[in-house]
Amino acid sequence: MKKILSLALVALIVLSLMAGCSNNKPANNGKSEVKTIGLAISTLNNPFFVDLEAGAKAKAAELNVKLVTLDSQDDSATEMSNVEDLINQGVDVIMINPTDSDAVKSAVEAANKANIPVITLDRGANGGTVVSHIASDNVAGGKLAGEYIVELLGGKGKVVELEGIPGASAARDRGEGFNSAIAGTDLKVVAKQTANFDRAQGLTVMENILQAQPEIDAVFAHNDEMALGALEAIKASGRNTLVVGFDATDDAKAAVAKGEMAATVEQLPKEIGSLGIQTAVKVLNGEKVENMIPVNLQLVKK
Amino acid sequence: MTMNKFINKLLKNKPLIVLIITSVVVSVLNPRFSTWGNILTILRQTSINAVIATGMTFAILIGGIDLSVGSVLGFCGAIAATMIASGTNVFIVVITALLLGTAIGFLNGTLVTAGRLQPFIATLGTVTLLRGIIMVFTQGRPVSTGNTDASAFFGKIGGGFIGPIPVPVYIMLLVFIAAYYILNHTRIGRYVYASGSNEEATIYSGINTNKVKLFVYSVSGMMAALAGILVTARLGSAQPNAGVGYELDAIAAVVLGGTSMAGGIGTIAGTAIGALIIGVLNNALNLMQVSSYYQDVAKGIVILIAVLLDRKQKLLR
Amino acid sequence: MKYAVISMKHITKEFSGITVLKNVDFNIYQGRVMALMGENGAGKSTLMKILTGVYLKTEGEIHLNNEPVSFVDVRSSQHAGIALIHQELNLVKDLSIGENMFLGREPVSGNGRILWSKLFNDSKYWLEKLGLNENPRELVKNISVGKQQLVEIAKALSADAKVIIMDEPTGALTPSETEKLFQVVNNLKTEGKSIVYISHRLHEIFEVCDDVTVLRDGELVSEKPIEELNEDMIIEMMVGRKLSEQYPRIETEIGDDILKVENLSNQFVKNASFTLKKGETLGVTGLMGSSRTELMRSIYGIYPHHGEIYIKGEKVRIKSPKDALNLGIAYVTEDRKTNGIIGEMDVRENITLSSLKKFTGLMGVVHKGREEKTAHKYIQKMSVKASGTKQLVRYLSGGNQQKVSIAKNLISEPEILILDEPTRGVDVGARKEIYDLINTFKAEGMSIIVISSDIPEILGICDRIMVMHEGGISGFLEQKDASQEVIMTLAVGKDV
Repeated sequence: MKKILSLALVALIVLSLMAGCSNNKPANNGKSEVKTIGLAISTLNNPFFVDLEAGAKAKAAELNVKLVTLDSQDDSATEMSNVEDLINQGVDVIMINPTDSDAVKSAVEAANKANIPVITLDRGANGGTVVSHIASDNVAGGKLAGEYIVELLGGKGKVVELEGIPGASAARDRGEGFNSAIAGTDLKVVAKQTANFDRAQGLTVMENILQAQPEIDAVFAHNDEMALGALEAIKASGRNTLVVGFDATDDAKAAVAKGEMAATVEQLPKEIGSLGIQTAVKVLNGEKVENMIPVNLQLVKK
Repeated sequence: MTMNKFINKLLKNKPLIVLIITSVVVSVLNPRFSTWGNILTILRQTSINAVIATGMTFAILIGGIDLSVGSVLGFCGAIAATMIASGTNVFIVVITALLLGTAIGFLNGTLVTAGRLQPFIATLGTVTLLRGIIMVFTQGRPVSTGNTDASAFFGKIGGGFIGPIPVPVYIMLLVFIAAYYILNHTRIGRYVYASGSNEEATIYSGINTNKVKLFVYSVSGMMAALAGILVTARLGSAQPNAGVGYELDAIAAVVLGGTSMAGGIGTIAGTAIGALIIGVLNNALNLMQVSSYYQDVAKGIVILIAVLLDRKQKLLR
Repeated sequence: MKYAVISMKHITKEFSGITVLKNVDFNIYQGRVMALMGENGAGKSTLMKILTGVYLKTEGEIHLNNEPVSFVDVRSSQHAGIALIHQELNLVKDLSIGENMFLGREPVSGNGRILWSKLFNDSKYWLEKLGLNENPRELVKNISVGKQQLVEIAKALSADAKVIIMDEPTGALTPSETEKLFQVVNNLKTEGKSIVYISHRLHEIFEVCDDVTVLRDGELVSEKPIEELNEDMIIEMMVGRKLSEQYPRIETEIGDDILKVENLSNQFVKNASFTLKKGETLGVTGLMGSSRTELMRSIYGIYPHHGEIYIKGEKVRIKSPKDALNLGIAYVTEDRKTNGIIGEMDVRENITLSSLKKFTGLMGVVHKGREEKTAHKYIQKMSVKASGTKQLVRYLSGGNQQKVSIAKNLISEPEILILDEPTRGVDVGARKEIYDLINTFKAEGMSIIVISSDIPEILGICDRIMVMHEGGISGFLEQKDASQEVIMTLAVGKDV
């Protein structure tokens, strides 16, 4: 019996501790004045989405609404569960940053069924009813990067494309934009491989490519992590190659400032999160909102 | 059974106590937890892991392990989605996906028996191999089941209801009952325990333990395929990275349920409770709005405490 | 004057309400060898596990040099100089002799580096003290079981053990190794070490022990100096009744050949040919390395082989134990723990394991009721001491595990029953029961092969004896022509 009690005690302590760690104290009751907005975010393992959440959090504090963030850990089924949990919790608006546009459909439909308005962030949903979609245009961003490389190389040369996780929409869109920009020029893609948005893989993949390709003028990576990995490989090889990344993380911006990277395409994740909250509040106030809200992109160069 | 005996038996069941205590504590902290709707949600969310964990229980009982379940889930899901999208009859799709999963499981079993590989190594190989095949097959893109009547019907398997209860919950219960029956009332079930406990003695008793292993890994593959159908049906789309890391949750559920990693000891009821503990934790931590960074910390602690208590009980002298 | 280094007083041990030791006194005297005797299940192991801190006593006291002590774990008993040498040796086979001896207490330098030369030199010192000329760098798996036993003793001595408990130390030893061990024991005695000697082999007790303590059903029967006892008295104290004839062999009608093996060969066995007749008991003996077990296991389908096997004149192929069982051959292993019983399963499940098909209906569903009935029948028939069919086999004593192992093979209704060392690790009382069972099977017309290294046993219960030497068959003897000397001559490979 003593064991059972100690077990109960431990469980209690752990759970209370965890409750203490929560971002927000639970509302005293469902009828409280403060409205709650749920955010199912694709992952919090990536600085970009951490920034997105930070932007949302800051705006939520400013507008005096409560924000509940759940992490889908890049898994569609977890995302589904998280949205279900948000519905059961009775939040007023659900913002989803989908792991995948197709797979999020059921989650959106579940929210629709519960009459909770849905806003998608960064990635869209291919089904269900969404009141508004807020995103930066990845295709445009890829194009921006491509055009800059064309400009720097004078429309001629050999380039390498480091792709993101196969199947991720950002990888597809950025690649599409980039390839559309270099189409019709004398730029040739001599190597095209995935490094899964990962810095360590960016390094090893680039090392292999450097071994195989005697001549490389530029590298376009679908995100900065891969770009920075590739940069290390290039530095180690002693060769000189332009590197353009995407996302404008702090590391990448520093590399651009030092002149190691040529440029990075800056999305404004905080802006996406912030706009999401603004839109959600408008929805709650019964105001009309645009069903597509584009967020600026910009090229960061020295 | 007298009341006293019943309570005694209950107190010996550490996993069940962990489940009950967790549920009670969470209900007190957040009244929304114990609503009927939320309980159904938990059951539905648990169903996928529970189905995989049931297959995993067979693999662990025989003293092996099946790391490939996540990849099998992804692969069979992708095949099912593709077939649905091309307008194939839902019934045929389900049968095909299940057979495919069983066949992959059989392959794992062959690697373990004829190939004499350690189960860990054999299935570690299939994890990567299958994930690669998924990528080649899907070209790295999600496969939507489309917007046909067939896909709507297929979607019911994951998202539909019969009466007030979600379909996956029925499937989970059926799987539990079938697995319980096989393990406790059939010859092959007895052989699974015997082989896991003392393989050599089982061979000496005139039993072909290789056949038992082939059966076990086939079951595990089939259960992973079934989970793949559930996930794909629920989401209306098969993700190329679906199921990554699922083997860990399944193993956690099995071990939480008191099954020994050395094989021979364990029950399906335990696994069911283990899966529920994980499901309840996931849901409760979300409901209590625990920061997602702390969620894994909490889950890890609870799993370790539960397993430690269980071990201590077994080591009592 | 005897001085008790250790005296255990009024020891009582309960396992979840069941009393396994009741008010037992036990003494270990300085410079003397104490025999601890009793049937399996009498409480010997439990008592020793309490002394070594594996189990905690429920009641009672332990005195070390007249001071009360309490051993809460194995470490604390080791610290007090008590070493237990298990029946199944506790050596890491893939490490060297020296590494094994100093496992967990390797000599290290100030910065934690292992001083290998010191370790091996020290090992060498202790090994030589026991007259063992092995390189301490040799891997344990490469030396014989007898030498491994000595390594265990060397290990205990090097840890400054004052009391050494030996549990069935001669179980796997050859006669010359046994002789060697006795020398070592005598030397240890003269050095003032105290020894507890647990064995079922009565003649050994009279050879090396000074005192005898007998336990029965968890209670102390008596403690006496060996001079006041003889074999019959000890047996009587152990079983609580007089033993009638020790080997109750019966004559039965011997029929035609039932099993004929011709030129069986594989990596263990060379051109083995023999026959077994219906209703006959064939004894198979030989020294360690004679491959008698391997020959029988080859026939049982464990090891692949060339050569022919005929059953009732018909040529058969046996590629697995399943084939053998289907042909009516059953094999009761010598190594219960490894391949005889499944400790984590209950008595019923163990008994029916090899014949589960008989209890299954449609879709492989097991009829538990019928299974239960049969298991119950066999428990009674063989007087297995278990709390019921649901008791886990690992909680049974060695003799009862052996009975379960035999019962499992009987359910398959074999015509040929191979018993490999059926009485190893089985106490005197249960031995007699096993001999009686063999007679019952014989009377039922079963043909039996008994493998044993206990020559009196072979002489006592078999109709015919086959002797093996290094993988070959060196001769056959009719029971009436056989004697210990003739068997030994054949066993070492000489002609009679």
